Amino acid sequence: MRWLARRETLRVTRLWTQTVLAPVVASMLFILVFGLSLGSRIREIGGLPYEVFIVPGLITMAMVQAAYSNNSSTIFQARNDRYINDVLSAPMHPWQVNLGYNVGGLVRSLAIGLALLALAVPLTGVGVEKPLVLVLAVLLGLVLFGALGTVVGIFANTFDNITFVVNIVILPLAFLGGVFYSVDMLPSPWEELSHFNPVFYLVNAVRYGFFGTSDVSIWLCLGITAALALPTYMWSQYLFTSGRRLKA
Amino acid sequence: MPLSPPALELRGLTKRYDDGTSAVESFDLSVHDGAFFGLLGPNGAGKTTVISAVCNLIRVTAGEVLVFGRPAASLEARGWVGLAEQDINLDRFLTVEETLVYHGGYFGMGKDEAVERAGEMIDIFDLRAKTRVRTPKLSGGMRRRLLLARALMHRPRLVILDEPTAGVDFELRVELWRYIERLHEAGATILLTTHYLEEAEELCQEIALIRGGRLIARDSAEGLRETYGADTLADVYVKAMSA
Repeated sequence: MRWLARRETLRVTRLWTQTVLAPVVASMLFILVFGLSLGSRIREIGGLPYEVFIVPGLITMAMVQAAYSNNSSTIFQARNDRYINDVLSAPMHPWQVNLGYNVGGLVRSLAIGLALLALAVPLTGVGVEKPLVLVLAVLLGLVLFGALGTVVGIFANTFDNITFVVNIVILPLAFLGGVFYSVDMLPSPWEELSHFNPVFYLVNAVRYGFFGTSDVSIWLCLGITAALALPTYMWSQYLFTSGRRLKA
Repeated sequence: MPLSPPALELRGLTKRYDDGTSAVESFDLSVHDGAFFGLLGPNGAGKTTVISAVCNLIRVTAGEVLVFGRPAASLEARGWVGLAEQDINLDRFLTVEETLVYHGGYFGMGKDEAVERAGEMIDIFDLRAKTRVRTPKLSGGMRRRLLLARALMHRPRLVILDEPTAGVDFELRVELWRYIERLHEAGATILLTTHYLEEAEELCQEIALIRGGRLIARDSAEGLRETYGADTLADVYVKAMSA
């Protein structure tokens, strides 16, 4: 398992301009354009300056997208080029293979998250009020979206299938999950509908880690994120254990 | 003294793919420890399915696959098998050395041992000049050599070579033959599939002919020629496949 995790990490570092630099630059542009440039025209949200308010959501969005993209693309490539056979024929337990593949997404997302935090602190003055909650929320989010990436990478027939999920599912959910606003600001029924969006709870859990406040109970946020992360991870585990879609 | 278990034993192996295609049906085969065994048959005969069942790469519909007496899916058995697949399936993100070292790691080797063994394989397969080159930049012949080196990296007891010389020029083919022979002399059991009948005749002590997922004959090249009243293995093949 250690070697597979190392291989996945090597892939992330070898392609660092694509895997880490590009998402960091994209998220920093959001902070600069929306936060520092337009932020002065938007009133405070929850007593926080706008450029500070959007930081947790943007970091969350960049990290979950990276966890998903990393795992889906690495597994799809390994299946497509059939070098996954080297791993499947090796004396490794299915849980080791699943975990090994998930480490790449975790490493990549953490690199992005830490880089964004390091840049956002001096730029916006954002701080971390509840570090343990932040770590827990981030880990749950990465398990959820990393495992989703693994599942999609196993089922995908083409690369388009992978990008479809990013563009049609993850990005809209992230944008509508309160990354740029508090759902309290939305008129009915949009505010109520936001509560059916799983990313809303993840963004709020991370925001609680940063500010110590969130739109809904932190326990609800962590509970819902965990309730989604666990079965998704079990699904990816099932695919490795059964060999479904991986073995003819 | 107890008899050593066969290197490979298939009992009633059946594989039906999801689309309903039956690749092998109630297939029995036993290959003794130390054998050089050839599996011949046309495309679609079931050779690759049999190999994939041994290497944990397909979901077997029914039957049992044992490697040195242990279930092929067990971790122990998997560590005993080395596979060089028909298609070049090298990790595009890794260099030649990394391909070997990581494979060693997947198969339970420690870092120092894997690095040392990778160095040996690089020298044996004449890949020294390309040690730090990533696999997509290698020539076809070098990729084929690396594929074989990777299969042997963890010192498997059962080496499975699925058409290892397909698309390889004559010089490299002879070079690979010599290496495979040395490997067999060193005690490894070899299971070889090939479309080159002269390759099977040159290398294999025993040959099985399969067609439509069933075993239709099994003997030494000489025995097969005698049974089919043929002068060459090619004649045997034609008669057996058209019977």
